[in-house]
Amino acid sequence: MYSLALQDVLYEHKLHPTLSMSGEEKKIKMQTVIPKTSAALTSLLRADFTTQWRNRRSVVLLLLVPVIILISWKGLIAKMGGAFALSTCITIGLTAIGLMGYSNAIARDRDKGVFQRLRVTPVPTWSIMVSRLIVQLVLILLVTTFVFIVGSEYDEVTLSPAGYTLTFVTAFVGGALYLGLGQMIVGLVKNAETVNSTTRLVYFVFIMVGMFGDLGVLGEELKKIIHWSPYGTVKAILAGSMQPSNWSSQTSLALLATIAYAVAFSYLGIKKFRWNTQ
Amino acid sequence: MNNKPGSSILQVNGLNVSYGTFHAVRNVSFEVKAGEIFGLLGPNGAGKTSTLSAVEGLLKPQSGTITVAGFDTAKKPLHAKANMGVQLQATSFQPELTLAEIIKLYAGIYCVELTREKLQNILQDIKLEGSSSKKFKELSGGQQQRVSLVIATIHDPVLVLMDEPTTGLDPQARRQLWERIEAMREKGHGILLTTHSMEEAEAVCDRIAIMDHGNVIAIDTPQVLIDTHRNDQNVISVSRKGKITLEDVFIGLTGRTVRT
Repeated sequence: MYSLALQDVLYEHKLHPTLSMSGEEKKIKMQTVIPKTSAALTSLLRADFTTQWRNRRSVVLLLLVPVIILISWKGLIAKMGGAFALSTCITIGLTAIGLMGYSNAIARDRDKGVFQRLRVTPVPTWSIMVSRLIVQLVLILLVTTFVFIVGSEYDEVTLSPAGYTLTFVTAFVGGALYLGLGQMIVGLVKNAETVNSTTRLVYFVFIMVGMFGDLGVLGEELKKIIHWSPYGTVKAILAGSMQPSNWSSQTSLALLATIAYAVAFSYLGIKKFRWNTQ
Repeated sequence: MNNKPGSSILQVNGLNVSYGTFHAVRNVSFEVKAGEIFGLLGPNGAGKTSTLSAVEGLLKPQSGTITVAGFDTAKKPLHAKANMGVQLQATSFQPELTLAEIIKLYAGIYCVELTREKLQNILQDIKLEGSSSKKFKELSGGQQQRVSLVIATIHDPVLVLMDEPTTGLDPQARRQLWERIEAMREKGHGILLTTHSMEEAEAVCDRIAIMDHGNVIAIDTPQVLIDTHRNDQNVISVSRKGKITLEDVFIGLTGRTVRT
């Protein structure tokens, strides 16, 4: 007969706090206390960071796109301004994180049943998502830092300490918008492959229309529209925070618009989100 | 509160589950006792997985109550989940994680301390001692089921839920899994499993409930069900081997029509 070795190991080493060890009798005891959420969150974070590390090639690509743009714009920086260049590159990085990274990972894990497996454990569902979001926040930090380093070392664009600090803060706000947008797509679209193609399309439109429209190549009307689009408002607050002394009422309005977009996208994304695809 | 053999660890009362206008589970009631293997049988679409999903907390019932280890799943869902271990029909773990990392993740979620030595003992027990760095998808079906079961029971829950655990397994792997399930019963775990295999139900289940169109149409031990329906004309008419089997009773009660 099966040796019961696993159960014996669990009992012998008192692995579980609820195991009763009265004399020779081994009893399975009912749990009256749920495992600590902090402990569960730590385990989830470890797993999510490991997953991200194993997908480090995609992280490198995430960093490469804004950096290549920044390097290729070296000759134009004097004309367009350091804040314009850096804010554009960070915005592109944030867009990639929210649309390409986060939403595709969520769609894939939902499709494979990874979330269902986690949901039958005694962890609050919010902690599953919080763990994923913390990984994305670290990526935002990484992209922003990387752009700052390349901007400083290669393009000789430096900011004041206040500028750097404020830009990190606004990068998180802008990142929240794109994570919200990614959440909305994954909430509205069930199929993982469709999520993948949708996010690629939206990313392409954001980058192309946003970047060229912002430069005025696509006309003045479109430039105005882009300015108040999710692309434009994020770029505006990033550019504004890089030069705190130039922060204007327009930048404040862009900040409010960014927060409003983030709230609206997140609300829709959470409301429409289903943990499984069936 | 210890689970004495025979004490009720899962109580399902008047459970109703609907998907839009489709009433998938209709007023279902049953209980699973400690040290008992309870089988939920039924044709496709009978409501087995919906019932199990409601117990697991994966879907919200329209009405009815579910109590696990004394905790109402609607009022104390996390307490109820802490007392159950679940093996899903199609278990999937993060594909980037290794076996050791997956086990550590779930041990961490349940606050089960896991040293390297203990992890090795667990892997040795499921005959995967050399596979700690393998990914889940690299394992065979039988190995995947053993990993799923070890994760489902890593916190030693009073109730273990298994959704078609032997689907796709070869006879050796299936027998091995049955032995593990029976070993859990001997330890005092209550086990609720769904299956399409009448052989499995007869071999391992102490009691079974047959579901059809969302209703429980029969509930008892396999032998009592056979004895009770031995003389039913519907059952006799589908009998193939001259003697009445559980499969004959099942088909006699649920009909010959193939469900999709």
